[in-house]
Amino acid sequence: MLHIVTDSTSDILPSEAAALGVRVVPLTVRFGEEQFRDGVDLDADAFYARLARGGISPTTSQPSPEDFAAVYRELLREPGDRVLSIHISQKLSGTLQSATLAAQELDDRVTPVDSGSVSMGVQFLVRAALRDLAAGADVDTVVRNTEARRSRLVVYVLLDTLTYLHRGGRIGAAQAFLGGVLNVKPLLRIAGGVVHPQARVRNRRQGIDRMLALLAEAGPLEAVGTMHSGAPRLLEEVRPRLTAAYPELELGTGQIGPVVGTYAGPGAIGAACLRAG
Amino acid sequence: MAGADRDAAPSGVTATEREPLREIGGRQVMAGLTSALAWLQANQEVVNDLNVFPVPDGDTGSNMYLTLRSAVEDAAKAPEPGSAASVMQAAAHGSLMGARGNSGVILSQVLRGFSQGLRGHQRVDAAGVAVALGEASAVAYKAVMKPTEGTILTVVREAAAAGKRAAEGSDDIRQVLQTAVAEAHAAVERTPDQLAVLRDAGVVDAGGLGFAVILEGFARALDGDPGVAAEDALALVAPRRVGEPALRRPGGGPAIASGAAPGERRGAAAVAVRHEGWGYCTEFLIGGPGLDVDALREELGALGDSSLVVGDEELVRVHIHTHDPAVLITRAAERGRLSKLKVEDMSIQHHDILERAAAEEAQRPPAPHKALGVVSVAPGQGFRSILTGLGADGIVEGGQTMNPSIEALLNAVRAANADSVIILPNNGNVIMTALEVDALAPEVAVRVVPTRSLPQGITALLALDPGGDLASNCARMEEAIGGVVTVEITHAVRDSTADGQDIHEGDVIAVVDDRITQVGRDHLSVVEAVLDHAGREPELITVYRGAGIDEETAEQLVVSLRRRHPDVEFEVHDGGQEHYPYILSLE
Repeated sequence: MLHIVTDSTSDILPSEAAALGVRVVPLTVRFGEEQFRDGVDLDADAFYARLARGGISPTTSQPSPEDFAAVYRELLREPGDRVLSIHISQKLSGTLQSATLAAQELDDRVTPVDSGSVSMGVQFLVRAALRDLAAGADVDTVVRNTEARRSRLVVYVLLDTLTYLHRGGRIGAAQAFLGGVLNVKPLLRIAGGVVHPQARVRNRRQGIDRMLALLAEAGPLEAVGTMHSGAPRLLEEVRPRLTAAYPELELGTGQIGPVVGTYAGPGAIGAACLRAG
Repeated sequence: MAGADRDAAPSGVTATEREPLREIGGRQVMAGLTSALAWLQANQEVVNDLNVFPVPDGDTGSNMYLTLRSAVEDAAKAPEPGSAASVMQAAAHGSLMGARGNSGVILSQVLRGFSQGLRGHQRVDAAGVAVALGEASAVAYKAVMKPTEGTILTVVREAAAAGKRAAEGSDDIRQVLQTAVAEAHAAVERTPDQLAVLRDAGVVDAGGLGFAVILEGFARALDGDPGVAAEDALALVAPRRVGEPALRRPGGGPAIASGAAPGERRGAAAVAVRHEGWGYCTEFLIGGPGLDVDALREELGALGDSSLVVGDEELVRVHIHTHDPAVLITRAAERGRLSKLKVEDMSIQHHDILERAAAEEAQRPPAPHKALGVVSVAPGQGFRSILTGLGADGIVEGGQTMNPSIEALLNAVRAANADSVIILPNNGNVIMTALEVDALAPEVAVRVVPTRSLPQGITALLALDPGGDLASNCARMEEAIGGVVTVEITHAVRDSTADGQDIHEGDVIAVVDDRITQVGRDHLSVVEAVLDHAGREPELITVYRGAGIDEETAEQLVVSLRRRHPDVEFEVHDGGQEHYPYILSLE
């Protein structure tokens, strides 16, 4: 039997994970000495509330190889058991590295896959793999399909501020484009594993319009969703527009969790899509 | 009516008493151009004062003057000084390079047309002059996408038509030009009947008057005594103010250029000192005690002319036109404490100095070659920093009150060292100039995104995708500028009626996307009135404070605005612009 494993940057809530039958390995969020398992000991609402209080800035760390190995061993009880482990882009986090090290201990029974994405993008791969399984696909087909889908994933995030990305050292080449005297809200595009500054806008209205226009340019979609960071009002602004644009799709909605939220900061609104193959 | 007066006795000698002037060559054309320049300089302020809006505005007179000056400078270097065609061709090229503002661009096209009409002619006769005038009109019309009647175009056309009729009955170039000049002034007088904005503002068209003045100046050079060499004709021209006595502002305004003080500056003085330029108008106060006014008047007055030294032992006011303000200031500082010091270059050479500095700055570090560059026009250090921070490769100094020349834009475009360059004019009066650059830079693909304000320019620049191509970036920028509303807060420079509102000098006025919408007594109430009428409440308001507004004052304004608009996000930046205490962008 094939088991699906992912990590907490997929923003799949523990309750959802149980219902879906996937295992979510949490990353760690730290506020100084205080340490939380992402989504387990600290949920998104509590995290953003704490961010809003100010004080010490959070940091994050990837799971250890042992964290993965423990989960893998638990799942590989029968000789026919296999694991497909789908993770945040390795260009953004060392999580896949840990998963790969753990997998090497377990012969060929665990296949780690770099989603090249984050948050709802990872989630789309997980859900599609689950659908493949439910449709009776064999292990190799699910792995092949998952790898093929990666190039069709695009995630957009409109940040409220660059501060958190900057603080987390994740701004890189975007600096020159986004820096300067004026406050700009960056619209980031995450695809092929990398974060690319797609556009800069002066207010959310412009940013949301732009984001939805970019989705529309992406052509027919297989999956679409939207996520926010501590800003449910923004989600409610985007949700009806996406529902109207894609009436045939079930709209994914969610909140960006503590680890990704450490870099995105509060007040971000995003949209993710899996383009039709 | 203006024409009739003018026609009667331009310099006290009527044309019929003299030998007809049947032909002119390059030297007479040069004299005509030089005389036109002096005449325009003398009347520059009159033309500047004809702004439709009572806001500190693009100075039509200065723009035309600087454009024509560039023409005259190049004409003086014409390869064949004796050839009318050669001189005029050089003038046309110079005017294009130096063209500033929409009026400057149109003037450059008038000169280009005139030059085309003279092509191949060493010397030209009366019929040829008439043909060249006709060509000037045709080329000018072609340069404007939507020609509007009641502007310089109408004046050029009607002057040309009159010149043509005169040439049919006379072979005297003086006669042809005098008729054309008379008709040009008459056409200027009619412009308020053709253009409602002029009628409402109580002015004649500034560009039209500028052209009439230029043509008149040209004609006056040929009016000189026929026995005198044509190139010296200018020296013989009796100074006389344009518009005197007939040219009056419609609507009961004061007669243009009347009164002794302006006459001194605009008329005789301008022509008399033309070889040295105007020098610097230097003003300051000297603080006592124990000042000897008479001694100061003698001592300081010797350092310049038009001197005015008045006051008492405690305080002396000094106003002197001098070519060396440094000496004057140093000397005065030895006598007392100086304050309210103001030095103004009356020949407006600071425009050129600024531009040269900008061009040198742009040229100094050769920028690495790139696919797509952006050149933006901006006044003030604040806006320069903002635009540079957003990725502009070059900034050309200029704006509402100082329009950059085509050459300044061209230099910045070349310095950007890119395959293609987008120009953001950020002012309605700079768009036409910017549009001329592409043809002059064959090695670069130049496009203009017609931004009419600094907020539009910033919005356009924000939409830049450095990896995208020229066409898609232009399209994206043009779409983006529709999403921002520009509010410019300034003070009325004269009484007026605009967009149905009575405006008094000194009133605070709000210009919203090029239209005056609110008039009031103070900045806050005017900004609040604009926001009350903004329709949909903006999400973000960016306040760019001008050179005269300190940080605290701007913050105070925003604190008050926030109270009434708690859901709006406010940002304050240092724009550094002159004349406009605040520029706001509503998004």
